[in-house]
Amino acid sequence: MKHSSRENRLEADVLVIGGGIAGCFAAIKASEQGAEVILVDKGYVGKSGQTPYARSFMAFNPDWGHNLDVWMDYINKTSEYVNNRYWTKVTIRESYARYQDLVSWGVHFRTDQDGQPIRSSMPPGVTDLLLIDDKTKGEYALILRKQAVRSEVKILDRITITELLKQDGRIVGAVGMPPDSYDLYTFIATATILCVGACGFKPAGYPPIVQLTADGEAMAYRAGAEILGKEFVDTHSTRMDTPIGIPNMLGRNKDVPDDLKVLIGPGRGKPEIDAEGDKIPDRPADASHYGYTYLERELIAHAGRAPITTPTPDGDKEVVGGACLGMSLRKADGIWPADNNCGSSLPGLYAAGDALGNMQNGAVYALSGSAIAGGAVTGTIAGVAAAKEALQMEKLTVEQKEIARAKGVVFAPIERQGGFSPRWVTQLLQNTMMPYFISYIKKADRLQAALTVVEFIQEHLVPKLFAGDPHELRLAHETKNMVLNAEMRLRSALFRTESRGNHYREDYPRRDDPIWLAWTKIKEEQGKMTLIKVPVPKEWWPDLSTPYQQRYPFRFPGE
Amino acid sequence: MANVRIDPGLCNGCGICVKSCPADVIRMDPETDKAVIQYPQECVICCWCFVECPEDAVLILPEIKTSPLFTSWG
Repeated sequence: MKHSSRENRLEADVLVIGGGIAGCFAAIKASEQGAEVILVDKGYVGKSGQTPYARSFMAFNPDWGHNLDVWMDYINKTSEYVNNRYWTKVTIRESYARYQDLVSWGVHFRTDQDGQPIRSSMPPGVTDLLLIDDKTKGEYALILRKQAVRSEVKILDRITITELLKQDGRIVGAVGMPPDSYDLYTFIATATILCVGACGFKPAGYPPIVQLTADGEAMAYRAGAEILGKEFVDTHSTRMDTPIGIPNMLGRNKDVPDDLKVLIGPGRGKPEIDAEGDKIPDRPADASHYGYTYLERELIAHAGRAPITTPTPDGDKEVVGGACLGMSLRKADGIWPADNNCGSSLPGLYAAGDALGNMQNGAVYALSGSAIAGGAVTGTIAGVAAAKEALQMEKLTVEQKEIARAKGVVFAPIERQGGFSPRWVTQLLQNTMMPYFISYIKKADRLQAALTVVEFIQEHLVPKLFAGDPHELRLAHETKNMVLNAEMRLRSALFRTESRGNHYREDYPRRDDPIWLAWTKIKEEQGKMTLIKVPVPKEWWPDLSTPYQQRYPFRFPGE
Repeated sequence: MANVRIDPGLCNGCGICVKSCPADVIRMDPETDKAVIQYPQECVICCWCFVECPEDAVLILPEIKTSPLFTSWG
């Protein structure tokens, strides 16, 4: 070893990796079952990931006149029939109980004069979401942390988990490192829950996902887990002058000085106008009501009608795509759920929140506030199931040779004398994946061209990533994981030879029922990334006797 | 990358900015016990450090607005 490292070994019944809403729920619920729980986070539990930025929570309550069939019918259609109806239904049904948990832990929601929660119907007249009170907006994630501490969860902040431990086919924990030393942290756990959030390529336009570099998926894939395909892209846009996410954070608990007010960006939520003066068209009413989080802007840019601008008191500001580069629609990528307990295809490994690819929303965003509710619901299911499994089992002993293998993986980039810097490889990856005609408006030849570049990065640059200090060591692992995410995205996009929801192929512009009423599953077989088509159960298909135009009110260009 | 500074005269060494930074930009200087911007390359202007600092010691310079975003089209 070039550098000395101190080894810290910790043991638990349940190891939860990632401390956003899914991770906190998983840890708290596992602990309530009587399990010894460790919660480890790359950042600081209560401040990391996207959770602190959330402002609303979807909640279903029959006492408020909600009808499950109405909600389901709406989501099934807008999601273009590839939502997983089991998980959609579970998320809806259990959302209110999780809202009650949050209230009991001290999270405040906005209420009316009678003390009843203010409900914001989104989409209009269909589903409801509750608004986190401004007083606890941002702070509510810290309330989750406090509840985890009260529940006797052991929290370790600022440890980046880089590799899962596997023994006799079972995941038995993980190893990681802090950002400021070469210490090794080894976690031995009977059950491990990945709650690591979404996957991105560190896009500058959306700070909340700077940490979310597909670490969990990449670890799970390398260990042999199955991953949900990644063809349904997240299309959030950003402003050239004010990256999104910042307005949620700035001004939260102190006044914003005048010279930073530009970052808050007046005029959000106003209409967006293309270069010819036309407003971005709304989707047909029965297709969706969820703002512009579709491919409309990309289609306008592709047609040569950019720049797209939005009016503000400071003049028109330019709106651009790629804010969430590398990310799928929430829950449209992640660990493939192999059972109804958020278990993966590997014994001992669970996933929850955005790390679980349960397709609760299908091929487009169907519901506002459902991502955060889904995190709470799946965190609870995974936490309870993992604890029950762990408490029934004997404590594990993990052989030293497996820990030594994982340690070798962790420190490989600092053992190299030189090679390629993770910052440069990350930039190369961003430049390869960012153009709208690669990740958003897709076609086989362009996807293949990008894949050729990414394969070269994978084969020739990733094995030669080097790090000069512990900070760069973290960057090296993040870069390695982002490259794997890019390969998965491109292969999934090539694999789905149709268009549906937020997956648009110029060379296959129609939905292809029933051939592509299916999900894409990814796994490593004999060293190769393999894609498998998994049909949506027939009882969840739309009525194929209804005309195509009625099944799919939105038309893609070229259909 | 952003133009962020920490005023050593105002920093009380509490370290809350180090904990808050999602990108590991800030470190405590072991000699002065003050926070320093160690890895500005990784800053994404999320403003957590600015929001959390109890002493208003974090200065985010307004010229960051001119930092180019690499975008999906342009």
